[in-house]
Amino acid sequence: MQNTLWQSVLGEIELSVPHATFVTWFKNTELVECTDEQVTIAVPNIFAVRQFQVKFTDQIKQILAKNGVEPAHIEYIVKSSSGRRTTVSRETTMAARPDVTENSSRLTAPVTQNGSLNPRYTFSNFIVGSSNDLAYTACQAVAQYPGTKYNPLFLYGGVGLGKTHLAQAVGNEIVKNQPDARVVYISSETFVKEFLDSIRFKKKGFSDKYRNVDVLIIDDMQFIANKEKTQEEFFHTFNALHQNNKQIIITSDKPPRSIPTLTERLRSRFEMGMPIDIQMPDFETRCAIIEAKAALSNIELDRETVEYLANNIKTNIRELEGALNQLLAYAEMRGVTPDVSTAEGLLGNVRRSRPQHVTSKQIIDKTAKYFSLSPAEICSAQRDKHIVTPRQIAMYLLRSELHLSFPKIASELGRKDHTTAIHSVEKIEKSIKLDFTVREQVAEIRERLYA
Amino acid sequence: MELTVTQENLTRALGAASRVAGTKTQLPILSNILLRTDGTRLMVAATNLEIASTQHIGAKIINEGAITVPSRLITEFVASLPKTTVTLKVKDNKLHLEAEGYSSTINGAVADDFPELPTINDKTAVSYAIDTSALKQAITQTILTTSSDSTRPVLTGVYWHSHDGALYLAATDGYRLSEKRLVATKSDVAAIIPTSTLQEVLRTLSDDVTEVEVLFDESQVRFRMNDAEITSRLIDGNFPDYRQLIPASSETVITIGRSEFAQITKVAGLFARESGGSVTITANSDKNTVSLHSVASELGENTSEAEADINTDGQVTLNSRYLTEALAVTEGNEVTFRFSGKLSPCVLESNTPDNDYQHVIMPLKS
Repeated sequence: MQNTLWQSVLGEIELSVPHATFVTWFKNTELVECTDEQVTIAVPNIFAVRQFQVKFTDQIKQILAKNGVEPAHIEYIVKSSSGRRTTVSRETTMAARPDVTENSSRLTAPVTQNGSLNPRYTFSNFIVGSSNDLAYTACQAVAQYPGTKYNPLFLYGGVGLGKTHLAQAVGNEIVKNQPDARVVYISSETFVKEFLDSIRFKKKGFSDKYRNVDVLIIDDMQFIANKEKTQEEFFHTFNALHQNNKQIIITSDKPPRSIPTLTERLRSRFEMGMPIDIQMPDFETRCAIIEAKAALSNIELDRETVEYLANNIKTNIRELEGALNQLLAYAEMRGVTPDVSTAEGLLGNVRRSRPQHVTSKQIIDKTAKYFSLSPAEICSAQRDKHIVTPRQIAMYLLRSELHLSFPKIASELGRKDHTTAIHSVEKIEKSIKLDFTVREQVAEIRERLYA
Repeated sequence: MELTVTQENLTRALGAASRVAGTKTQLPILSNILLRTDGTRLMVAATNLEIASTQHIGAKIINEGAITVPSRLITEFVASLPKTTVTLKVKDNKLHLEAEGYSSTINGAVADDFPELPTINDKTAVSYAIDTSALKQAITQTILTTSSDSTRPVLTGVYWHSHDGALYLAATDGYRLSEKRLVATKSDVAAIIPTSTLQEVLRTLSDDVTEVEVLFDESQVRFRMNDAEITSRLIDGNFPDYRQLIPASSETVITIGRSEFAQITKVAGLFARESGGSVTITANSDKNTVSLHSVASELGENTSEAEADINTDGQVTLNSRYLTEALAVTEGNEVTFRFSGKLSPCVLESNTPDNDYQHVIMPLKS
């Protein structure tokens, strides 16, 4: 709201002043407060404060009035820009110093490298449900006793389920408790890139850089999986930190043992701490997330709308947020209250991208393909183990996705007896709870079905 | 506008202002200097939107008014004039200057387009009156260790802050650190002043100024030096908590004459050019000598020795350039140089009871 108001003010001013003037004074300005009494505008520096007060106040007042805002007076403040710079740029220049002092030990200042942590990610705005409460509790324990409780902490789970949020929340909490702790958050991609640069440009100091931090958070570990030298470098970093009881937090989309190209010594190390998976949020959690997000925008959604959204987007919290934002933006733009009918009108698109009309044939084909079998083999009478489990999974999917009756399921797979189908579905339901591999397989086939 | 001023005064004011006037800027008027009558005086001002510099000079005002003119041209023109009085006259956005045989017209721009100069509220701002020589010294001592790495903006300035009832200045580039205690204070201050601003203050300070008034508010600082004023933005961000880096005590303490120490460091430095200034300092408590050893693998090597008071033997390697520079800004005839082993920070300070300056240098890993 404020943003659009300010954009329209800027748009009008841009037309009325020379371009150089506009760029010099109005770039990086922001409307931070807008009430009947007072409008507060953040400007980049003290020079701008004075310039605005003397030269632009009248013009801004006029344009604000045109937009229906008539404040008693306008206040200008200098914008503070701290916390925007990323660690990445800072780090690279440290290594790139042309100075002769490269081998000089730096003042090991509490020059906190937490710049890369996003302060938005905290424990308090993480929504806990049965799918992630274990991860949440473990993370809190780590934040309280970094380096001693669960080290390394290995978080894994699908896209958009909150791994990064939790990992960063730990970092932020530790910084809050000990402001001088050095917390480094880095994506594994950046790690690889810096490592390659250090080889390419023969830069020194790479190996030390991550070895004297207090908390190291590596996001999306799977990306270093097939890079052998990087893994080796990381292995040494890992050992150095672990030996000094420094906390290591790793996130990945798969558990260590499912990352195929991860070297054995890294795998065993990742598994020695605490590998925890974050699962798909259940319906109730999804509802809670939607409500919390809507509350952030000061909007209360009725029960029906919340449930509609939660019902329609099941797999990914990011997508859920996207749909909610779309709904709220649409409602605000049109000046209507967001309700089920608006949501239905809007999210038609969302749903269409996930076609509901999956056929039983598709399920059988995809399952067969996933396990590198032919559909005929799955439907045959063969009882080899490598065929039996896929067949059972296919039955389970027919039941869970299409809600077919058991006799129908049996006939789809060329069985006569519907009790086979009942047994299979029950068996898979049970294994999903116990066995990660099965859960993973089912999830992946499901993903492919709707892809 | 019509007035007369002396060439010396005008040249001095233009010189100070033109250093600040913007050169590469999107707003062309920033490369101009503002001339405006202010009561019985002439105000000369320039800004690059980071620093603003204003000078007031005595003038005989005939008509009030204001104009802005290109900084370089007017500065160089006035500087080449003979030392007499100069008459300035504005007509149709043109500035006519006349002085004993010289007469020129400079095309200017309306003063209204010039950015408004920032104001500071004298009542709410924290202000200090600081003796000029003390201020000059404090700035020289700390500015040395500021960083030029623009990706860590907070280190590219000097951190002025109150601590335990005193105003401190501190600066570090990650390899060395300096801290100066300046004056007593009751107010809370925490401001990072850009290095370029402080350099400008040093240049502007003339000898006839005895006291400088320094005013802080949340986002700016102003230095008032009689008729000249420099206002600057502050660097946004938190300065690292540097105090814990200064070791309170060290194993090896060397007390040595400052000039002797500087001399042997300088000599050892000659042989350390290849190795990035690396010299090894050895303290021998039996012989009470300090020796500096440096090796230039191709050229030769050097050992320089001087007498000193030493409590325990010790050895440390550091960059001789840092040590030379630190010794140059440390006061007193005798200094103490202390360190603990090869890795922890070394501290150089004046050996006087009321010492207010500490310089920390990180050793080189050898």
